[in-house]
Amino acid sequence: MRRFVLGFAAFIALAFGSSAASAQDITVGFVTSLSGPASSIGLNYEKGMNAAYAYQSEVGGHKINLIKLDDASDPSAATELARKLVEQNHIDLMIGTSSAPGTNAMLTAANELKVPLIGISPVNVPIPASGHPWGIAVPQTPNLMVKVIADRMKRDGIKTVGFIGFADSWGDLVYNGAKAAEKNGDPEVTSNERYSRTDTSVTAQALKVIATKPDALLDGGSATQAALPLIEMRKLGFKGNFYGTPALLNRDFIRIGGSAAEGVQVSAGPVLVTSQLPDSHFSKKIGTAFHEVFKKVNNAEADDGFSGYSFDGWLIFLNAAKVALKTARPGTPEFHEALMQAIYADKDLAGVHAIYNFTPRSYYGVDERSLVVVKLVNGKWVYQP
Amino acid sequence: MNSQIAAILTMDGVATGAIYVLIALGFVLIFAVTRIIFVPFGDITTFTALTLADLEAKRLPGTASMIAVLAVVATLMQVTALLRAGAANGIPRALLYYLALPLIPVAIVSATAGTLLPAPLRILFTVVLILPLGPLLNRIVFWPIADASVLLLLIVSVALHFALVGMGLFFFGPEGVRTRGLVDFSAEIAGTVVSGETLLIIGSAAFFSLLLYLFFNFTLYGKALHATAMNRTGARLMGIRPQQSGTIAFLLGSLLAAASGVLIAPVDTLFYDSGFLIGLKAFVGAIIGGLVSFPVTAIGSVFIGVFESFAAFESSPFKEVIVFSILIPVLLWRSYSFVQPEDEADE
Amino acid sequence: MNARTTKLVAVAAVLALFAAPYYMAPFTITLLNYIGVYSFVALGLVLLTGIAGIVSFGQASFMGIAAYATAWSSALMGYSPWLGLVLAVVVTCTVAAIVGLATLRLQGHFLSLSTIAWGLALYYTFGNIAGLGAYNGIGSIPPVSIGAFRLADSGQIFYLIWGSLLLSFLAAHNLLDSRMGRAMRALRGGNTLVASLGINALHIRLATFVIAALLAALSGWLYAHMSRFVSPTPFDVTMSIVFLMMAMIGGSGYLLGALVGAALITLLKNWIQDILPLISPGSSGQLEIVVFSVLFIVFLQRARDGIVPYVAQWLPAPRQQKPLAAEAMPRRAQPEKGGVLMTVDAASRHFGGLVAVNNVSFDVHANEILALIGPNGAGKTTMFNLITGTLRASAGHIVFAGKDVTRASACAIARAGVARTFQHVKLRPRMSLIDNVLLGAYNRTRAGLFASALRLDRPEEYRARSEAIRQLERVGLGDRPYDLAGNLPLGNQRLLEIARALAADPVLLVLDEPAAGLRRQEKLKLTELLRTLRAEGLSILLVEHDMDFVMALVDRVVVMDFGCKLCEGAPEIVCADARVQEAYLGGVA
Repeated sequence: MRRFVLGFAAFIALAFGSSAASAQDITVGFVTSLSGPASSIGLNYEKGMNAAYAYQSEVGGHKINLIKLDDASDPSAATELARKLVEQNHIDLMIGTSSAPGTNAMLTAANELKVPLIGISPVNVPIPASGHPWGIAVPQTPNLMVKVIADRMKRDGIKTVGFIGFADSWGDLVYNGAKAAEKNGDPEVTSNERYSRTDTSVTAQALKVIATKPDALLDGGSATQAALPLIEMRKLGFKGNFYGTPALLNRDFIRIGGSAAEGVQVSAGPVLVTSQLPDSHFSKKIGTAFHEVFKKVNNAEADDGFSGYSFDGWLIFLNAAKVALKTARPGTPEFHEALMQAIYADKDLAGVHAIYNFTPRSYYGVDERSLVVVKLVNGKWVYQP
Repeated sequence: MNSQIAAILTMDGVATGAIYVLIALGFVLIFAVTRIIFVPFGDITTFTALTLADLEAKRLPGTASMIAVLAVVATLMQVTALLRAGAANGIPRALLYYLALPLIPVAIVSATAGTLLPAPLRILFTVVLILPLGPLLNRIVFWPIADASVLLLLIVSVALHFALVGMGLFFFGPEGVRTRGLVDFSAEIAGTVVSGETLLIIGSAAFFSLLLYLFFNFTLYGKALHATAMNRTGARLMGIRPQQSGTIAFLLGSLLAAASGVLIAPVDTLFYDSGFLIGLKAFVGAIIGGLVSFPVTAIGSVFIGVFESFAAFESSPFKEVIVFSILIPVLLWRSYSFVQPEDEADE
Repeated sequence: MNARTTKLVAVAAVLALFAAPYYMAPFTITLLNYIGVYSFVALGLVLLTGIAGIVSFGQASFMGIAAYATAWSSALMGYSPWLGLVLAVVVTCTVAAIVGLATLRLQGHFLSLSTIAWGLALYYTFGNIAGLGAYNGIGSIPPVSIGAFRLADSGQIFYLIWGSLLLSFLAAHNLLDSRMGRAMRALRGGNTLVASLGINALHIRLATFVIAALLAALSGWLYAHMSRFVSPTPFDVTMSIVFLMMAMIGGSGYLLGALVGAALITLLKNWIQDILPLISPGSSGQLEIVVFSVLFIVFLQRARDGIVPYVAQWLPAPRQQKPLAAEAMPRRAQPEKGGVLMTVDAASRHFGGLVAVNNVSFDVHANEILALIGPNGAGKTTMFNLITGTLRASAGHIVFAGKDVTRASACAIARAGVARTFQHVKLRPRMSLIDNVLLGAYNRTRAGLFASALRLDRPEEYRARSEAIRQLERVGLGDRPYDLAGNLPLGNQRLLEIARALAADPVLLVLDEPAAGLRRQEKLKLTELLRTLRAEGLSILLVEHDMDFVMALVDRVVVMDFGCKLCEGAPEIVCADARVQEAYLGGVA
């Protein structure tokens, strides 16, 4: 018993640590997956955020404090981090994270704690019954990502398409998107095979897909391992076209996929092919600026789709903060509310991915202008108008 | 399912199973001598592949600095232990084995990393660089608790695995790698095209199984190594040094892991955390062999590969569930046919 | 410190704890909530792994089952979270019972490996059931409500978590202090010991397993309604391993270890998260787990038993008083003197080609002392194992008190009234003398899990303790009953085993070399004791090598050599037999 009391007292003493920021600064929390299965995407988000912060790190004369935390690809850790950022670090706004379940979890917390969240992965949380939701999702909806490429399939004359995807939430999202598109006249989905990132072989799954005799294949994987089904299908003699989502926009996917991946068409945000866009395109100017600052800060090209979301999220935040500062001070609940209202009031914001318009009736704010189709030719993505 | 599909699935299963065999052999090897269920074995295999990929890309692999740090830590631990035991005259030898020898490959690789060496040299340097990893980890992590129960060793093993995975992510990043092919030919077996590398893996799996089987069952030295796992004190009384046996077992284990990594890297995309899941499935194969018999382990691992292949065909989302669920009947069967000595009661 | 001070301190601590939401920062309360939730699982692991010796890598899966059960019922189906609690507990405990029945017969590391197997299988199952949100999980889980009052805030659910945690600790403490707790502790002594006490090892393991699952279920329910989002990731094998680490770091043999371990790891994780970006800004995420694991490895190398015992070394040990005398326990009726108590009829046992016991027949009469003698390797201990059911006879029959026990299990034979001691002493060295003896009285007491947890077993417990003291005094060890059994010299350990056997109120006492390691005076006292027992109606069968001891004490002797019976009869006759002299006793009589 005595031990319990001594230990308890010591623990209370330890638990009293908290960080303090200067009162006039705006504090933003950024959660991403720097370890765990979603880290390959998470690190891209981080690079995008690095570029964003370098692009502009103060607004309206106030410095912005950016706190970066790793959720290790675990949605429950994301929830805990959201709470920590709000309760311990007193953030004004949060941005995160690199997987759909994690972002859902953060959104649930945001709605409860009434602190704005700029979600950089797809979400599907119900809109609260009263008041307005406390978050937005920057990316295109997965359904939209798949619809755009499914429309392209239809245009190419494809009637049936097979599906192989990851055995995780992303695979679910792509498959559901394909089924939704099917209802609207796009090609029929003939199979639902899954594999995991660490699998050594997908021969069995590929065999099953081929047995359904589809005209083409929709790849529901992401990053490097999205190449595996393509390699396997080609090895088994499949001759049809390959199609995919922005999750395939990854340097290592191109490298590993090699000749099997040649010719794959994916829907992508315009940021990927900024240099190939006409000057009149809405994202040409901001996209060029993004690529420049990205290269300077990260010492690499921005050749994935994810970093652009962080950057666009930052742009949305900057615009909202500029307006909110006129009516409230950072670090107060009024500021949270003001930020949210400013986000909704902002019309036609041109980002590197899309033109953004948010309303309290939905988390998403983009339309079909936010996606183009690109094709992998000789190891480079080429714009297919 | 027709016979052609069955043939393809079987061939694919055998190819995957051969990978599991290599890793399962490593588990059995280390357990047979030290009673440690060395969960990080798969991670060492993965490190080898990642190191080789780095050398191919003319980058200095993080493995070099990791080995250097581990060498220094192990040397300090050994020197302190020797001083405490009053055996200071053992220090030069300790410096040689724990500091000088591991640092030689580190130096070579650091010097040559920027240039693209011919493939055999690259592979040699990779293997020689990875080789000290097993004995160094043994010295640092397991030596202080070498007499603990199997379960404590298992838990420490798992903790070490987490540390290695974290280091892997830190050094090599989250993306997967696939190295250039080792050989160029391919053969047609049962209607499917089998690459040369896959044949090499199958061949190596068979070769190593046979080698280890002969070594442990028919040579005096092999039996001596095995004896230390049965009863450390008894082995010491017979003049066998358990600590030395452990070091040798880990050295052989490192070699096997490095060889596996080199062979698997061209056929399979490996990530910093691939080691765990591959290791787990290989482990099922090792359990089938009772953690003691090399031939049965080999057969068991191939069986797991084929089983997984067919399970994936039947229901790919649930294939992991199926594969791990069969571990339970295997364990039940194994524990009945392997009567535990009653001195398993601890404390 | 005495009992009153302890109670005062305890009350003060609990008050401080319950006032916490009023004076602590909100994030600290959130941390405390997580610590509380994790402590449930860690407590289950202390019982399962620390006490009963079953290392489980699958506790997080049970937490997951419960969390999903309540998430499904309250978020997807719209029922009250309290119904979710019932569902969570029922489903989790049922799954635990099924898994336990399938795997708890496994021993040692096979059992632990099986826990990894089903832990992984459950994780992948969660991720693949579309109706449960698959990998996307289930969100917007409603908070728990008590009447109209919603426990939505951290500060509100804090009370629910810590209130139920304290109750669980209390129940666990009561459980460990009862006959069930002693049976759990006995599990680590090996199956042979447990069966010889008439305890069904599988039942006790299953009970412990389901209790640990129940605690994990409570944890999962609270977790779901606290974080209001469930997905498969927090319930995978990695999290199970973290729970195991919590129990081990805290001290897996101590209930308090669960709380200390959970608190330490949660706070450490939080602290590393804050510190690491300051030390190495670019790569903090990847290094977190490395730092964590390295610390854990170093810890296990230095303090295998955990923090609590490490700290407890420096605190004064609690003083224990001898229990007061209570009403005596009912005793078995002993059989009539002169009748045949046990018949061994042509019993044989072989191990492959080796015949250890070869067609041996003899009787044990009621109320006599019979000795089994013979050279080493004659098969005497094997014979004992056949009689007590530890081994099964390959041929022949054994009849005890009129019932054929040839195929009976050791547990059943022990319950029928046969108590034994062992050639290599099988005690629980870390339990006290009185607790070891109480193990023998297991079948004379009745309190089950619920009665023990709710402290309703006290009257029966006092009587049992009084009986245990009586037996200890009989064998001469009654003066310090709270010493640890492992501290006794070997001779006294043998006496302790006899006391334990006597506490079972046996009809037949089977002693394997009871005088080995005793000095002359002690042997005389033992002879006295055995004679007194015979006078009370007990029958005794023993193996001994000290011929003076044997011949002065026993009524009849059976001689074995190379597995066969050489000769049987009164001591004088056996001594004079030429074959016996040649094989064992030596020529000159």
